[in-house]
Amino acid sequence: MADTTILALCGKGGVGKTSIAALMVKLLSERNDRKILAIDADPAVGLASALGMTVRKTVDDIRKELIGNIRKSASPGQLETLKSLDYEMLDALEEQGRFALLAIGRSEDEGCFCRINNLLKDIINDLADKFDIVLIDGEAGIEQINRRVMKTVDQLVLVSDTSAKGIGVANTIAHVAHEKKAVDFKSMGLVLNRVRTQAEVDGIRARTRIPIYGWIPEDDLVREYDYKGRSLTGMSGDSSMLSALAGMLERMVKPA
Amino acid sequence: MELFEKIITPVLSYTEEQPDRRCWSADTDMQWPAGGYGRIVLKEDMGLELGSPEKESLSCLLWTENLTLITDSRITLVGPDFSESIGQSLPFGKVVLVGVTGFDEDNAYERHKELDFLRYDIDLTGFMMRAVSQYMKEWCRVNHEAVANGFSAKVLGSSLIRLLRKKPYVVSAEVIFFTSSTEAVRRLREITAPTEKIVSAMDKMAAEMDFECESCDYQEVCEEADGLRLMRDKLMAGKKEAAPYG
Repeated sequence: MADTTILALCGKGGVGKTSIAALMVKLLSERNDRKILAIDADPAVGLASALGMTVRKTVDDIRKELIGNIRKSASPGQLETLKSLDYEMLDALEEQGRFALLAIGRSEDEGCFCRINNLLKDIINDLADKFDIVLIDGEAGIEQINRRVMKTVDQLVLVSDTSAKGIGVANTIAHVAHEKKAVDFKSMGLVLNRVRTQAEVDGIRARTRIPIYGWIPEDDLVREYDYKGRSLTGMSGDSSMLSALAGMLERMVKPA
Repeated sequence: MELFEKIITPVLSYTEEQPDRRCWSADTDMQWPAGGYGRIVLKEDMGLELGSPEKESLSCLLWTENLTLITDSRITLVGPDFSESIGQSLPFGKVVLVGVTGFDEDNAYERHKELDFLRYDIDLTGFMMRAVSQYMKEWCRVNHEAVANGFSAKVLGSSLIRLLRKKPYVVSAEVIFFTSSTEAVRRLREITAPTEKIVSAMDKMAAEMDFECESCDYQEVCEEADGLRLMRDKLMAGKKEAAPYG
């Protein structure tokens, strides 16, 4: 996976992580030279709707079918199973221009099928390898990324608003990532969302050891889109959120 | 050893009935650049799609030791060629016929798998393929550039025949493609339907050492296909030898 850059976004629910992920996908896919894979690893499957897409099939649907086949003893050999999972995974991709979305879905019977989960993770890793940039929209629990998507990412992007609770969750995730090695990563940083003043950023800098990748000002246009239930990917370049994210992505993703 | 002969004959007859069929001889020296292995072709880059999950798709491999059934190196296409269908998503049928030698109850399963897996070794720039063996489906995408550069049924067929002919036990090989219509591919699926059962029966024999033929889903197909019966008898004899009082 040497040429693929993998970004994983984590953070407390409600801090705007999925909106940020959707806008990052939009910005990255506008650079015509790159293929982007967006992975919606949040069981709520919010990234799909933020991108204005509908998910027909999730990785969990594939997993259930595979378990069903094994139970019916209808599964062929291992290589055939791997190859058919490749097929199913491609079928699960929702494509739009230069990017494709893969939704992990909600797993209701975790734990009993480690080998199958690992197999699916291998297939996801193999699929990810075919893209230039992979962006994972995770849930707050970073272990889920490791367990259900992949073990190694390039950039672990912790998203928070300016609330003490949001920063507290980001600090906890950073601790789990560092100390418990929940995910292997090359670098980790904080993206602050809905910031009103530079003073807020300075105050947070004093309360965390996580390097700050950048901050996004509170954006009336985003509020308006959210209020009207419109997909953020339709936003124009006038958005201060978009401009801020574009600057951050320049630093996070190496040029082609 | 006989397994697929009763399927090969009607496949050939059905193909010959098609008025719009075209044939070429495989160009095994053909130089299509490699570099497509495992790549992904997104819809935006796609010049042509074959056998997508929304379309009819059939892919199977049939081998025989009756070499008179196979016309070596023949590539047959029923329907439009790839470069004649730019931007389209077509139904896709692919039947690979292989003339072989030295197949017996001991090696038939392993060799069948070897031949079937060769499709994953096709490495052609601009070409992507995914398959589900158990449903006999194959889904291909060809990117704009490859279609514009003349990627065709002949290129694909030649590449596969070249790989097949590298196996020491392969004497001859031919490939039949259908892109003409959903109905035609569906009919091809009906004709080749016993293949799925035969291969599943072999999978079961390979995976299990317990032979309760009375309760087995594949009993009928085993009775029908001579080769399968031989494989089963051999495996059962081996079981008795291993556990004479069991």
